[in-house]
Amino acid sequence: MNTPARQVPRLETILLLALGVALVVVLPLLHAAGLLSSFTLGVWGKYLCYAMLALSVDLLWGHTGLLSLGQALFFTLGGYLHGMYLMRMIGELGQYRKPIPDFLVFLGWERLPAFWEPFASFPFAVAMVFLIPGLVAFGFGYLAFRSRVKGVYFSILTQALTYAASIMFFRNNLLLGGNNGFTDFKFILGHRLDDPTTTRALYLASAVALFLAVAFCRWLRGTKFGLVQHAIRDGENRVLFSGYAAVHFKLFVFVVAALIAAVGGALYTPQVGIINPGEMQPEKSLEAVVWVALGGRGTLLGPVLGAVSVNALKSWATRAYPDLWLILLGGIFVLAVLFLPGGLVSLPARLRALFSRRPPS
Amino acid sequence: MKAFLLLPCLLALLFATPGRAAATENPRALIARAATEAQPAQARQLLAAAVGRADESVAPLLDAWRRDALFLHAQADGGRVAVLLTGEKDERGAQSALRAADGQPLQDEAGRPVRLVAADLPAAEHDASLRRTMKAILDLAELAAVDPTRRARSVRNLGLAQDAEKLPVLLARESVESAPEVRRALREAIALLRLKDPREEIRVAALQELQAVSSLATSDLLARVVQEEAAAGNRLALEAARRAQQAVEWHRTKVDFAGTLFRGLSLGSILLVAALGLAITFGLMRVINMAHGELIAVGAYTTYLTQAVFGTGMTLPCFGLSVPIPGLQFSGAAREAYFIAALPASFLAAATVGLLLERGIIRFLYRRPLESLLATWGVSLVLQQAFRLIFGANNVQVSSPSYLSGNWLVGDVILGWNRVFVIGFALLIVLGMGLVLTRTSLGLLIRASMQNRTMAACLGVRTERVNALTFALGSGLAGLAGAFLSQIGNVGPSLGQGYIIDSFMVVVVGGVGSLGGTILSAFGIGGIDQVLQQYLPLVAPGLAWVPGIGGFLQNLAQDAAVFGKILVLAGIILFLQWRPAGLFAPRSRSLDE
Amino acid sequence: MKLKFLLASGAIALGLSSSGLRSAETVKVGVLHSLSGTMAISETSLRDILLFTFDEINARGGVLGRKIEPVVVDGASNWPLFAEKAKQLLEQDKVAVTFGCWTSVSRKSVLPVYERNNGLLFYPVQYEGEEESQNVAYTAEAVNQQATPAVDYYLKEGKKKFYLLGSDYVYPQTTNLVLLEYLLSKGVPLANIGGGFRRDGAGKIISAGKYTPFGHTDYQQIVAEIKQFAASGDACVISTLNGDTNVPFFKEYAASGLTAETCPVVSFSISEDEFRGLPADKLVGQLGCWTYFQSLNTPANKKFVADFQAWLKKSSVPGLVKEGRVTCSPMVLSYVGVYLWKAAVEKAGSFEVDKVRAAWKSGLTFDGPGGKVTTQKNMHLTKNVYIGETRADGQFKIVSSFDHVYGEPWLKGKFK
Repeated sequence: MNTPARQVPRLETILLLALGVALVVVLPLLHAAGLLSSFTLGVWGKYLCYAMLALSVDLLWGHTGLLSLGQALFFTLGGYLHGMYLMRMIGELGQYRKPIPDFLVFLGWERLPAFWEPFASFPFAVAMVFLIPGLVAFGFGYLAFRSRVKGVYFSILTQALTYAASIMFFRNNLLLGGNNGFTDFKFILGHRLDDPTTTRALYLASAVALFLAVAFCRWLRGTKFGLVQHAIRDGENRVLFSGYAAVHFKLFVFVVAALIAAVGGALYTPQVGIINPGEMQPEKSLEAVVWVALGGRGTLLGPVLGAVSVNALKSWATRAYPDLWLILLGGIFVLAVLFLPGGLVSLPARLRALFSRRPPS
Repeated sequence: MKAFLLLPCLLALLFATPGRAAATENPRALIARAATEAQPAQARQLLAAAVGRADESVAPLLDAWRRDALFLHAQADGGRVAVLLTGEKDERGAQSALRAADGQPLQDEAGRPVRLVAADLPAAEHDASLRRTMKAILDLAELAAVDPTRRARSVRNLGLAQDAEKLPVLLARESVESAPEVRRALREAIALLRLKDPREEIRVAALQELQAVSSLATSDLLARVVQEEAAAGNRLALEAARRAQQAVEWHRTKVDFAGTLFRGLSLGSILLVAALGLAITFGLMRVINMAHGELIAVGAYTTYLTQAVFGTGMTLPCFGLSVPIPGLQFSGAAREAYFIAALPASFLAAATVGLLLERGIIRFLYRRPLESLLATWGVSLVLQQAFRLIFGANNVQVSSPSYLSGNWLVGDVILGWNRVFVIGFALLIVLGMGLVLTRTSLGLLIRASMQNRTMAACLGVRTERVNALTFALGSGLAGLAGAFLSQIGNVGPSLGQGYIIDSFMVVVVGGVGSLGGTILSAFGIGGIDQVLQQYLPLVAPGLAWVPGIGGFLQNLAQDAAVFGKILVLAGIILFLQWRPAGLFAPRSRSLDE
Repeated sequence: MKLKFLLASGAIALGLSSSGLRSAETVKVGVLHSLSGTMAISETSLRDILLFTFDEINARGGVLGRKIEPVVVDGASNWPLFAEKAKQLLEQDKVAVTFGCWTSVSRKSVLPVYERNNGLLFYPVQYEGEEESQNVAYTAEAVNQQATPAVDYYLKEGKKKFYLLGSDYVYPQTTNLVLLEYLLSKGVPLANIGGGFRRDGAGKIISAGKYTPFGHTDYQQIVAEIKQFAASGDACVISTLNGDTNVPFFKEYAASGLTAETCPVVSFSISEDEFRGLPADKLVGQLGCWTYFQSLNTPANKKFVADFQAWLKKSSVPGLVKEGRVTCSPMVLSYVGVYLWKAAVEKAGSFEVDKVRAAWKSGLTFDGPGGKVTTQKNMHLTKNVYIGETRADGQFKIVSSFDHVYGEPWLKGKFK
């Protein structure tokens, strides 16, 4: 099977490994040596969390043909569930010096509501980060895939889901901080969050999680499961006629994608220091889709590249060209869709093609 | 009893200081003097002297005062005179001045008419208490108004004020009144005033009268009367008051129901207008146009520009270049006609933008519909920021012309003219669209190209051109929606964001490609939303039984505007489980449609 | 091109190119507002007034002999980005002070960053209170500098029924809870407070008023409800709706025939600046309550307004809107904030945050466009409160004022 089609993934594997080493080993070492500021490392940690969100979008859209416009919901859910643990860790250091989170004191609560109780335990919070987004994805996916909602209907449906959830989370009475969400975290697992070592550990956790998620997708693609996945993307009816229960495959991928996003969100919260319902508004999911499109859908490197480059651009342009950066960003999307349908990862191949097309004179 | 004590007090107030002479003075002159008075207390007394003596003719004067259009002109002798400015503005911006006191032209020493510039003159001051006195003057003056609706309104105000000494005035009016609506208002007002009577039988009769009238305005008063009578132990009056209260509540139930129906219809028509363009671009052409909201905003901004052009013009910030837009300097009805001109203008503007969008970007993406989503989202970001740079980050002011800013009150149900207009126009556009699509050759070409582009091309249809025209048509409809929405909501850079999700929901629920489905789903969603908003708080107590989250649900249902929205979204999700392709699914023999 | 771009942004993100040369003659000052996204509508004006103030101060010799060098960044209406930008300002640019934030959530987002780095943030927009950080100078109006004076005014005007309406987020919820306590303490019965209540399991009221989501456009039902509520003629509305939703609300309000005479509305989020997008002719007589109005008839204010207009004409800041500009309370509180910071720095003789804070707490005064303001030990400001009626030209006519109101952030449970 030594066809050219197989060579590209091999190149991709090398690139992925190189990137993995750079992100997992080199950056933290630079930071430990004092060559990289905690601020910069923290920002990179954030980009990597976004990359996990992008990866989850790509797993659905690029590999299975399901364009979900609601992945940010799972990302934010993960963030909230981990945030609940971090809120409990503030202890009595809040504005009111009370043992329960500030916004609860403010709403007139004197004791912790029952569902907040177990979140003082880190293992419980981690279990919830997997369990709740997983269950939401399973329930929603089961309903949607069973009745064969697909294509743009699926996209609009996921958008409705995240929109409804964001309106819900904006409410104070949900007892999850309302519009302000969770912020002012102090400790994680007994370590101060403002410690450079904690920053590095969190960054490292994000890099490793991303690397593992990429590796998992890479492995999945090579299995028979991956083939069915691609077959569903390319012609779902033909898969059905061949006797595969596409529902189960789609449901599995949807839940896995939700979990990847949720883990990204859980790592995101302590690094940026805030999680609020703004993160699950529909445009956030759209943004993630655009990262994937820009990086290159259906690849593994693409989403990571897209998420990091767009967010780096955002960090830079909101400072250098505050008035024009949206025009810049929108313009890049349009140009990328029109002239670079394969995304950034297809750039080298296109350049090569450009040169080889020259007539050999 | 109280009334007899109050009357002398009021009279004493009227005839006290500076107004002793005032009692005989012409009310117009009194008002003019009050306007020039620097001391608020003196001004109040002067104005109070005019209560009950003025006729309708003072209304424009008081209205001008309220609108800061009554100006003070300093005379040579140092005194100030209140003037109104009328007529055409000359090149200095000056208009001819009328003395407020008698409505005659103001003349200088030489006897020539004086012309003044409004911007140079201070407006007469007024505060809340002065405006209340003005209202009292107008209320009584209005009793003699020619228009029966105005007479009825003034009667109602007098009744609600429960000022017992006005009873003779109302009884006098009743003896000569013939208009039925005013007579009804008089019955209500007289009964309200009689509730102050010390005799129980009179009060019971008054309460029976109120039961027959059952007006919403009396609701609070009746609740108070029930309490008072219960405390005083008057069984008969209490019984009558309770019955009257029940009658009002029953009336309220009916009003709420009818109001909900109208509001559902109105919200539905707004959703329809907003989604109609999308029903073309997304429904027929399958372009997932995320810039649809910004096309709506283009229409709204065009309305804003048209308004400025019909008025005094303006200067656009436009990338920091300060571009002046000249105005036609219309006034009055011609100026108000701007909205009529704005309709075609906003259609054309948005259609042009749509055409550019189609030629520049979308035509390359017909084979990649999901990617049209990304590209148009990029366009939407660019357009939003462009609005900010061209028109400024703030919302802009679009004022409603007078023919769109009133309302009809049908049995206490408010029918806003703007709402009725949108409902009517939504139906008109839908009808027009239906005709274009089914009865014209263009419509035939559009339907053919959309159903099977390749086949249409083979048959000689210039599909490129049809695509461009169709997209421009859909965009133009979005622009038209923008013109309407400017009358109802805000006009700003993020205007489109507020409508984009709703528009997609409407089209998807209706069934992509089905115009009839879009109509049905718009009115369905609008109606359900309004029903939930109105009746959720009523069912809230019934939600307490839900284990664990009962209290939470109960509180959530209180916030009907929020919860209604969530329920509608959840409803849409469930509905699409049942009908995955919307209300009217397109039929096709193709496998992967 | 794309690659170059990525390289450049990557390099900047890595912090290689912005090591930040600190000049001895200047002092870096951060400006952290949203210049894009949904909040740009309000916050751009604050950026403008800050740049104006810096120019004014620099023209008179700067602060401690050093010129102010503004570092303007865009929070892009994105709260995590606010935190990132705050970190950048403090850790990389090492600004002496930051002026910024509009929404409560953006303030909450950057607060830990300022506390961790011992920075100083000046916050200029009316807010819900219940907060007192040592790293924030709250020039903003506290609830008792806006909401409770407005209720006092209504009570004086003989209003008996109060309808509470707001957007569904923390500021309106808090304000309405405080107002509920305040109204009850003034003897207004619960039945006369409209908008609905939410209770906890024990029946205690945990939230009062009617709430609508952000960006809500359909106010038909709520206005119909208010119309019934106000049928008796002695009702008023207290609105904490935020920016954008005010337009559909007031258009609906006017279309239903409700006016300031039949049922006035006092809005805490509409200043002269927001007014530019509202149908002013429909709002004549509706009320606003702030610690500054452009129509204040004092020499200091007239000079301030004239200077700002003159600056707008000649300034070359990119993206600056020059037409139809007005001044409003958040702008003036930003302006006052810069001068108070200058006074504190000069009193402390240093830019160090600890010393500047100590100077602030010692009680500085400044005669601003809105009258005299005095700094308080709790990092808030004592200032004058004005109640204004809106006029057809989009300005406010001042109808009542309260002098030297102490800024009190902790109000819950105060009025019993």
